Amino acid sequence: MTDAEGNEQAVVRLSGVRKEYGESVALDGVSLEIHAGEAVAVMGPSGSGKSTLLSMVAGLDRPTSGSIVVHGEDLGSLDEKGLALYRRRRIGMIFQFFNLLDDLSALDNVALAAQLTGTSASNARQRALELFEELGIAGRRNTYPAQLSGGERQRVAVARALMNRPAILLADEPTGALDTRAGEQVMDLLLDLNQIGQTLLLVTHDQQLATRCASRLVEVVDGQIARERSLERTP
Amino acid sequence: MSAVWPVSRAAVRRRRLQTVVIGVVVALSTTMIVVALGLLAASSGPFDQAYARQSGAHLVASYDQSKVSDSQLTDAAKQSQVEAVAGPFGLATLDLNMGGRPLPLVVVGRADAGGAVDRLNVWDGRWPDKPGEIVLNRNPVTSSNQRGAATLGTQLTTGGTTLTVVGFAYSVSESADAWVTPDQMTSFKPTASQMLYRFTEAATNAQVSAGQSAVTTSLPSGALLGTQSYLALRATATGEPNTFVPFLMVFGWLGLAVAVLIVANVVSGAVVAGFKHIGVLKALGFTPTQVMAVYLAMISIPAVVGCALGTVLGNVLAESLLTRAFENYGAEGVGVPIWVDVATLLGVPLLVALSALVPSLRARSLSAAEAISAGSAPRAGRGLRAQRWLSGTRLPRSISLGLGLPFARPARTALTLAAVVLGVTSVTLAVGLGKSLTTYQTAASRAGAVDVTIFAGMTETGPQVAPGGAEPDRPVAKLSDPADEALLRSTSGAVYVTASTDQLMRLAGTKQDLRVSFLRGDSEQIGYRVLEGHWFDGPGQVAVSERFLRQRGLSVGDTITLESKGKSTQVKIVAKALYNSGEEVLSNWETLALIAPDQRASMYEIQLKPGTDIDAYVKAVQAGDPGLQEVPGQDAGTFIAVVLATVILLTLMLGTVAALGVFNTVVLNTRERRRDLGMLKSIGMTPGQVTVMVVTSMAALGALGGVLGIPFGIIAHRLVVPAMANGAQVALPDFMLDVYPLPLLALFVLAGVAIAALGAFIPARSAARTTIAEVLHNE
Repeated sequence: MTDAEGNEQAVVRLSGVRKEYGESVALDGVSLEIHAGEAVAVMGPSGSGKSTLLSMVAGLDRPTSGSIVVHGEDLGSLDEKGLALYRRRRIGMIFQFFNLLDDLSALDNVALAAQLTGTSASNARQRALELFEELGIAGRRNTYPAQLSGGERQRVAVARALMNRPAILLADEPTGALDTRAGEQVMDLLLDLNQIGQTLLLVTHDQQLATRCASRLVEVVDGQIARERSLERTP
Repeated sequence: MSAVWPVSRAAVRRRRLQTVVIGVVVALSTTMIVVALGLLAASSGPFDQAYARQSGAHLVASYDQSKVSDSQLTDAAKQSQVEAVAGPFGLATLDLNMGGRPLPLVVVGRADAGGAVDRLNVWDGRWPDKPGEIVLNRNPVTSSNQRGAATLGTQLTTGGTTLTVVGFAYSVSESADAWVTPDQMTSFKPTASQMLYRFTEAATNAQVSAGQSAVTTSLPSGALLGTQSYLALRATATGEPNTFVPFLMVFGWLGLAVAVLIVANVVSGAVVAGFKHIGVLKALGFTPTQVMAVYLAMISIPAVVGCALGTVLGNVLAESLLTRAFENYGAEGVGVPIWVDVATLLGVPLLVALSALVPSLRARSLSAAEAISAGSAPRAGRGLRAQRWLSGTRLPRSISLGLGLPFARPARTALTLAAVVLGVTSVTLAVGLGKSLTTYQTAASRAGAVDVTIFAGMTETGPQVAPGGAEPDRPVAKLSDPADEALLRSTSGAVYVTASTDQLMRLAGTKQDLRVSFLRGDSEQIGYRVLEGHWFDGPGQVAVSERFLRQRGLSVGDTITLESKGKSTQVKIVAKALYNSGEEVLSNWETLALIAPDQRASMYEIQLKPGTDIDAYVKAVQAGDPGLQEVPGQDAGTFIAVVLATVILLTLMLGTVAALGVFNTVVLNTRERRRDLGMLKSIGMTPGQVTVMVVTSMAALGALGGVLGIPFGIIAHRLVVPAMANGAQVALPDFMLDVYPLPLLALFVLAGVAIAALGAFIPARSAARTTIAEVLHNE
C-alpha cells in the first residue's frame, strides 16, 4: 500500500491515543504506525496497557482521546454497527483462550466468519476447508472444540481470523494457553503467514514468540511506548 | 446454619433482577389464587349465615283458601321431613298508595316477628300490635340507598284503609313485602294462606321437592298456588361470585404453574452458573445440606415476600367482589376465610421451595473439586446435529445461530417452553372467554336484529326505558296503537315490526316482581333465540330464561300462575329463550288480552333493511307521529363488562408472567454465553445481529409454545365457560363454545412469539451492548 508519491502507507496509524478507565490511565498518548507486511510485537509487564492497545486497534473499545486509522478508516467516526463491519472486513483476531463456539464444529466455527458477511454456507465451508488444508488440520474439520488439542484449537482460531482475508491479524497472547510444542507450531504458522505478506500485531509476554515472529518490537510501560526497535528474527 | 443466612442474602443481592422477577411472579399468582379460593369458600357464606340466624324457610308456600282450610294445612305439615313450620298466615296482594303510584305488595298477617321459622329482624321501629299499622320488609344495609321510600310514620292507603308504617323488618326468606296484624289481614279478606317450612333435609332441589310433596300430598288438588325454595334465593345470591370462581381458579393455577417453572429455571441457572461458587463454599467447610439451604433460602426470600404481598392484594380484591355480591345480606366484614390465607401463605412458598429442591439437590451433591473445575459454559455435545444442520441452511447466520441456541440447554428450554405454553393457554382461554361472553351478550341483547326501538309511552314497569324523562304511565304517541304500528311498517326501510308492552306481575306464592313483556307482530324475527320448546302460538303461553327456570325450580312445559291487580292467570311455559333476566317473562298479545285487553303498545322494535339510514327512518316516522321517540341502544351489561375487564387484566398478568419467564431464561443464557457473544462481536457480528440472534432463539420457542398452548387453552375454555354459565345460571348454547376460527388460532401462535420476543428483547439488547474487550479478558 503506497501513497501518491510512492511512499509506503501505514496500515495502522495511532495518534496520541489515550484511554482512561475511571481514574486510571491505561494508555497515555500512544502514537504508532504499522506498515503493510510488518509483524509488530507489543510487550510489556502486566497492566502496562498492551492488551488495551490491541483492543483499540481491533475496534473492541474506543479511545478517550486521540485517533486510530486502520486501512484508511478512522475508527472514531464509526458507530457500533460500523465497528462491527470493520472487524468483519478488516481484521482477524486470535485470542489466548481461542474463543471458539463449543456447539459448532471446527469447520462451522471458521465458516461462521464468512457467513456473517453474507457468504453462502457452501461457499463459506469451501473457503474454510481450503484454510484447514493450508493449516494442516483438514482431518479435524468435523471435530468439536472440546475434542481438539490446544494447538489445534488455536489453528482453528487462526483459520477463522484469516477467513475474510483481513488487512491485519491481531493476536493476543496466542501461545499463552499452549504447551511448548503447540506454541512452537503456532509461532511457525504466524511466521509463515507474515512471510507471505500478512500484517501482524502481536501482544505477548513471550520473548521467544516476539523475536521469532516479529520484525519490530514495541515495549509499553505504564501506558506509554517506552521503546521501539527492529528485530532480527531468530529461527 | 448461621453461615447460611449471610451467604443467602448475598446471593439474593447478587441476583437482584431474578429476585424481583420471582417476587413479582409469585405475588401475581398468589393474588389470583387467594381471590379464587376466597370467592369459592365464601361464595355462599353470608347468605347461609343470615339464613341460619333467621331460621329461614326452606320452602315458602301459598295456598288457595277456597280449596284448603287452615286446619288441613296444619295437619298436612305434621310430617317426619318437617323440622319446623310457621303459619298458616293470611296473605293478600294489595295495591298500597304512598302519595303517588300504587305499589302492589304481598302482605301477610302475622302476630309477631318470631316463631320457629322466618324469625324476622325488626331493625327499626316495632312490630304492629293493632290494626292500622304495618311493618315493611326492608334490608337494613341497602335501605339507606332508597330515595323517596317510606319512613316510620308514613301512611299508606289501600281501598279505604290507611296503614301507618310503625317499623321495618328484614326477611332473608323473602316471605312478604309487609306484615300487618292477623286482625288487620282478616279485614282485607285474604284469599290465600302462607305456610313456611323448614325441612330436616334441604340441601338439594330434590330434597326440597320431597319435603314439598310430603306436606302437600294430602291436600286437595289445586290448593297449592305457588312456592319459593330457599335454594333459588341462594342461587341468586351466589350467582355473581360463582361466575368468577371458575376462571379465577384456572388463571390462578396457571399463574402458579408459571411461577413454579420460573423458579425451577432460576435455581437451575443459579446452580449451573454458580458451580465455582458452590465449590468455594464447600472448600470453606459448608456441608452439602448448608449449600442446599443457601439455594433454597435464596429463592424463599422473594417467594415469601411475594406471597405475603399477593395474599394482601388478593384479600383486598376478594373482599371488594364479595361485598359487592353480598351487600344485601348484611355481609359487612365478608372476606376471605382465614384458612385460605393460612393455606396460601404456607402452600405457595412450599410449592416454590419444592420447585427449587431438585436443582438445589444437584448443588448439594456436587463434590468441591468437581464444582470448582466445572465451567459455566454449556457442555459440548448438546444439540450439535441441530447446529450443524442449521449452519448449512440459507438462513442469515444470526437467525440460524439463534435457532440452535435452545438446543444447548434442553432442560432450561423445556421449562421456558412450558412457561410460554401456559402463557398462550391463558391468552387462548381469555380470548375465548371474551368471545363467548360478547357472543352471548350480543345474542341476549338481540344486537343486529333490532335496529331501532321506538317508545310510545304507557308502560307500567318504570321509566328506565322512557327517553327524555317522559312520564311512563301516559302515552307520548299521538296516534292510536294500530295506527302507529301501520306507520312503522309502511315507512320505507322497515322489514319487521314488533309491538310490546310490559306489565308488573307476581308469580303466585312469591313476593318477587316479574316484568312480563307482551309481544305482538313479528316477535319471532327480532332476535329471540329459543333454546328449548317452541315460540308461543296461542293465548296463555310464556317464554322464560334459564335463570328464571333455575331460580324457581321450573321446567319448560310447567304451568305457573301470574297475578296482577288481584287477577290470576295460569300460563304455560312453552319456551326457554336466550336472555339474562330471571325476573322477566315474555308472552304474546293474546295472553295480554286475558289480563288487560285495552292495553296499548308502549314500545316498538323495528328491524330495517341493510343499508337503511336509521336517522332518516326515525325522522320519517316522527313526521307521521311526532310523539314517538327513539330509545338509545343498550350498553353491554355491567357484569359482563366487569368479567371482561377481569379477564383482560388476568391475561395481561399471565402474559407478563410468561414473558418474565422468557426474560429470565434469556438473562441466564446471555450471562452464560457472555464469552461467546463477545467472540461473535469480535469477528464482526453487529449489535443488531446479536439482538436478532437472541430474540430468534426465544421466538422459535414462542411459536412452538403457541402451537402447543392452543389445545390447552381450548380445553380450559370448554371447562370454564360451562362452569361460568352454571354459576351465572344462564343457558349455554353451542355457539358460545365455538369461538375459535382458524385465523384466530394462527394469531395465538403469534401471541406465543410475541410473549417470547417481548421477554427476550431487553436482555437481548443488553447482550448486544456487551463490552467485548472486558468479556474476552475475563477468562
